[in-house]
Amino acid sequence: MSEARQYGELATQLVLESRRSTQTDTLLKYNDALVRSIIREQRDLEKAAEPLALLDGPPVPALIVIETAINRNKRCLLAYHTHRTDRLRDMYWAVGGALPHILANQELRGRLSPHEVDFLREYHASIMDFRSDFSDELDIMASITQPPKDLHALVKVVRDCGWIQTELGNINFKKGERFMVRRADIEHLIVQGYLEEV
Amino acid sequence: MDWDEEYDLLAAGGAAERSFVERARNALPDDDDLDMPHGPPRPAAVPFQLQQPAEEETPLQQLMRHWTNERNCPDILPAQEELLVNILDHIRRQSQTVQLLREDASTSEDEHVRIMLAQTEMERVKFIVRSYIRTRHYKIDRYARFITTNAEVQTRLTAGERDHASRYANILDRHLYKCVLQSLPPAQAHLDDTAAFVPSMITQPDKTRPVFAHARQDCPPIRLPDGTALEMQKGHISLVPYHTVEQFVVRGEVELV
Repeated sequence: MSEARQYGELATQLVLESRRSTQTDTLLKYNDALVRSIIREQRDLEKAAEPLALLDGPPVPALIVIETAINRNKRCLLAYHTHRTDRLRDMYWAVGGALPHILANQELRGRLSPHEVDFLREYHASIMDFRSDFSDELDIMASITQPPKDLHALVKVVRDCGWIQTELGNINFKKGERFMVRRADIEHLIVQGYLEEV
Repeated sequence: MDWDEEYDLLAAGGAAERSFVERARNALPDDDDLDMPHGPPRPAAVPFQLQQPAEEETPLQQLMRHWTNERNCPDILPAQEELLVNILDHIRRQSQTVQLLREDASTSEDEHVRIMLAQTEMERVKFIVRSYIRTRHYKIDRYARFITTNAEVQTRLTAGERDHASRYANILDRHLYKCVLQSLPPAQAHLDDTAAFVPSMITQPDKTRPVFAHARQDCPPIRLPDGTALEMQKGHISLVPYHTVEQFVVRGEVELV
């Protein structure tokens, strides 16, 4: 390696990023550059290890050091990506499984890698399959943070969301208006941030 | 309070009022104040439950017990498919009745109030069912790879949950492969390394996690990790590692609170 650097230093940075993401409860931008340099380090390490592995006799200490570094880097890489997918899943459920809602958010989308967008799509497809096992009576995507106390909710429209079918017939929700509607009909709109409870 | 009884009362449009009073008296502690979805049930709820007779649980009480168990358990508990199907069927029947009564012009104002109460109750039951399913689902996502390699856990899942677990394990594997493994040298591109001194690559439920166990009946002695035995009598609450009470929870002798 060209620079004087300890093995695994980059991987530590990557894991630190995951940690920061947990502490601030935000999804940071996918660090493509860092991931790439760690993968490069892995290849270099592998090249350095190959001649050592061919030596006769018990493994030389240098080989053990390199192997440990390789394993550690790899675990850090995987941990970083798994941590992100966990966050993506949480995010997905927080908006009630409204995938277009996530992907339409440009700021958020900029922080995802293309593979992560694919991941979300596949995950969404699997959840939709799972959801179809349940009857119409029960929407498993609805909120589970607050148990319902009333059948109806007074809501304020924060963003236009067009015609929505409710118990009272079709209602055109326009920004600034207030409605008293059945909670079950519009729960998903609250979750997605179109409506606000007053 | 029996579900069918309540249903009949409502269908008759008659003395449903009694059912609500009775339900209020028998009700489990209100869960409104719980800090969902992470917080454990508040301690104040416990003494109330102590007075509950262990026998003759209504389906709703069973559901609530399984729900709190599932939420407090580090592992995935056996699926309560039959109970869920019964409850969902019941909700469906009840909402049909409600629909009929609402459309009936001869329904009085007083009855409309009762219908509203019944509807609210249905929404609340649905909330618990939803929360129960989602809690299981969260664990399934988390342990998907472990589930696909462990036949014993699979027996505790419903068919739908099993399918999702294997699908999700695949999705995650593929994702990791595309992001990381395919760029690594071939010798490193595996997900099943078993290096020394490193935790397994497959996330497993942590069964040593401490849980609050509430004995619903007298239990045989539990062997604690330090070798001593603990005998829990009915109503006792102890903080123990989950694996020591695992079997009791499955058999329903102990509930997690």
